[in-house]
Amino acid sequence: MSEKPQVKSSPSFFNNPRNRSLIYQLLLLVGLAYFFYGIVSNTLANMEARGIKSGYDFLFTTAGFDILMSLIPYDATHTYGRTFVVGLLNTILVSTIGIILSTIVGFIMGVAHFSHNLLIRKLAVAYIETFRNIPLLLQIFFWYFAVLAALPSARQSMSIGEAIFLNVRGLYFPGLIAESGAGIVYGAIAAAIAGIFFLRRWAKKRQNDTGQQFPVFTASLGILFGLPLIALLVSGIPFVWDFPELKGFNFRGGVTVIPELMALALALTVYTGAFIAEAVRAGIQAVPHGQTEAARSIGLKESKIMKLIVVPQAMRVIVPLLNSEYQSLVKNSTLATAIGYPDLFTVFVGTTLNQTGQAIEIVFMTMAVYFVINMSISFVMNRFNASVELAERN
Amino acid sequence: MKEFKPLPDQPAPNDTIGPIPWIKENLFSSPANSIATLAIFAFFATVIPPLLDWLFISANWSGTTQAACTNENGACWVFVIAWSKQFFYGSYPIEEIWRINLCLIGLIAIIIASFKLPKDLRNKIAIPLFLMLPFISILILSGSWIGLEYVSTDYWGGFSLNVLLAAASIIVAFPLSFLWALGRRSDMPFVKSVSIILIEFFRGVPVLALFFMGSVMLPLFFPEGTNVDKLLRVWIVLTLFMSGYMAEVFRGGFQAVPKGQYEAADSLGLGFWQKTLLIILPQVIKISMPNILATFVMLFKNTTFLLIIGIFEMLSTTQTALTNSNWLGGHSTEGYLFVAVVFWICCFSMSMISSSIERKLDTSHRN
Repeated sequence: MSEKPQVKSSPSFFNNPRNRSLIYQLLLLVGLAYFFYGIVSNTLANMEARGIKSGYDFLFTTAGFDILMSLIPYDATHTYGRTFVVGLLNTILVSTIGIILSTIVGFIMGVAHFSHNLLIRKLAVAYIETFRNIPLLLQIFFWYFAVLAALPSARQSMSIGEAIFLNVRGLYFPGLIAESGAGIVYGAIAAAIAGIFFLRRWAKKRQNDTGQQFPVFTASLGILFGLPLIALLVSGIPFVWDFPELKGFNFRGGVTVIPELMALALALTVYTGAFIAEAVRAGIQAVPHGQTEAARSIGLKESKIMKLIVVPQAMRVIVPLLNSEYQSLVKNSTLATAIGYPDLFTVFVGTTLNQTGQAIEIVFMTMAVYFVINMSISFVMNRFNASVELAERN
Repeated sequence: MKEFKPLPDQPAPNDTIGPIPWIKENLFSSPANSIATLAIFAFFATVIPPLLDWLFISANWSGTTQAACTNENGACWVFVIAWSKQFFYGSYPIEEIWRINLCLIGLIAIIIASFKLPKDLRNKIAIPLFLMLPFISILILSGSWIGLEYVSTDYWGGFSLNVLLAAASIIVAFPLSFLWALGRRSDMPFVKSVSIILIEFFRGVPVLALFFMGSVMLPLFFPEGTNVDKLLRVWIVLTLFMSGYMAEVFRGGFQAVPKGQYEAADSLGLGFWQKTLLIILPQVIKISMPNILATFVMLFKNTTFLLIIGIFEMLSTTQTALTNSNWLGGHSTEGYLFVAVVFWICCFSMSMISSSIERKLDTSHRN
């Protein structure tokens, strides 16, 4: 049989996928370029018409307004650049509090969903379904205007042992003031943390090599509290308590938590906690029941089954969800502006923008900050995720 | 041959059936559990009676002014009743409220129609109508183009605004996010990177920052002298925000469609758009439905954030009512509770629907 000569069929120019994709991308590029050209020229024209000078010079001029709460020294004579730092620190503060507390609440409530006690199970479900489905802003308002505003005035404040006070102006508790020699204690804490890290590595290696277990948790606790305690005694306790005291109409001294921070942290904790609880529940449910049964059949205790078999496997589902919950918590902390907690958004996009009119620079800086914070959370959580991921055979 | 007849089932042992073993199993299975049960009961016993008393028994129900709230120990529901029209419809003129109701009914009707109608009618009528709905609603609500009395967007508000704005945003976000998700999966490097930047930008930035961008930066972007309506800017922002999230939902859906579906479509000789719209898209929407609903719930809750840029949705109407000089009696708990219940009912029923769809789609053998 003679072979037929192969017909060379080349598609027409426009039907060639490569040409096509080139044309499409060129069209998109031209469209985008035109779009951005339009925006930029309009913006420049508008800014000229309104007399706005672009640039970041405003960061070095005096701000001239006070901020309700600041972690670093700040008053009205400082610059706009410093308001940015103050706001950023306040944002990081409330986000950190929120992330830690909501993780604790979320894990407790998520595990409570699998309790042997019917009432606890139902309470966990009720908590999740109630707070997940109510807008966060409403919850912030509820805590701020309905709960915290109903607290007694400073003179009738609720107190625990004359040291911790709670009233309409905030929560007051004693602070520690470091005196000379405190460096030794800080050093001891750092040494304890490093020590625990190495102890865990050593114990894990020994268990892998010899099978012998080492009470890591108790030993870690011992180091964590023992070392600083010894340092405290050696250096002669270089700290004094600073108790809050009622002077006139308000408390002085100690550490003050303003009601805005309390309301925001409470609302973020309760709201995000419900989502984390749901993630934990989903994660635990994703672990096949056979795993629990197998663990039981080799004679593990119920408490060990949760800790050694179920939770480590559930973490594979939970950690990616935690990542997005943490990120949305940070983004949601911008709602601070509704009750006047001075976070980055309130201070910078609120007051500073109003005073300077540098809309583009300020919105750009703020967005960049939230991007960076979320990227860092994502980075840490992805590292963590890699450590809990299924270790498959190579 | 003798037929095999199993013996009748033995009854369960007496100590495992009935209410007492059930209580023992579920409430008092261990000492710790017994303590927890008693503690929870004690908590309920102290909290629930006063709560019920405040909510219902001593509550003030009738009247029109604050003076009608005579019982100090009960909730003042008169506040909620007196403001209920504002809560639901904002300051929209009373005689024109039928227009809002018409839009809401249209929304519900179209959603039901797109599930119930036969396939032909659905593709030809329900889906185009669904995509047109936001624009039709704007025509009806604004009224000036179709010969009705013009109502400025300054008067739109209340819960109906939350619903309509969320619906309008998700409807426009559907095609947009689908395009972005397609772009992210595309082989064309430039298209792909533009899609990724768009998606990650709108997902990574706080929605509040987007609103501020919409209200302080967007006016700078338009040619001088153009005055874009505040609500329109919010709608644009919400749509783009929603598109970012939905694009990721769709991406998950695309990944879940088996590769054989694409190959089968290719081997039938379908073009790219035929393949995508007729074969892939229906499967993607089916798979992503629970997540689309979850995203919608998030968007719906986030419409309350509009309070911060001064749009009179339900929560900001409540705030206004609470600071009204005739109602300065501290009714914040009642007001917030009412708003919370309204939102809760909507969001909870949507998440119920979402999880029932999820269960229907879930064919894995768990537990």
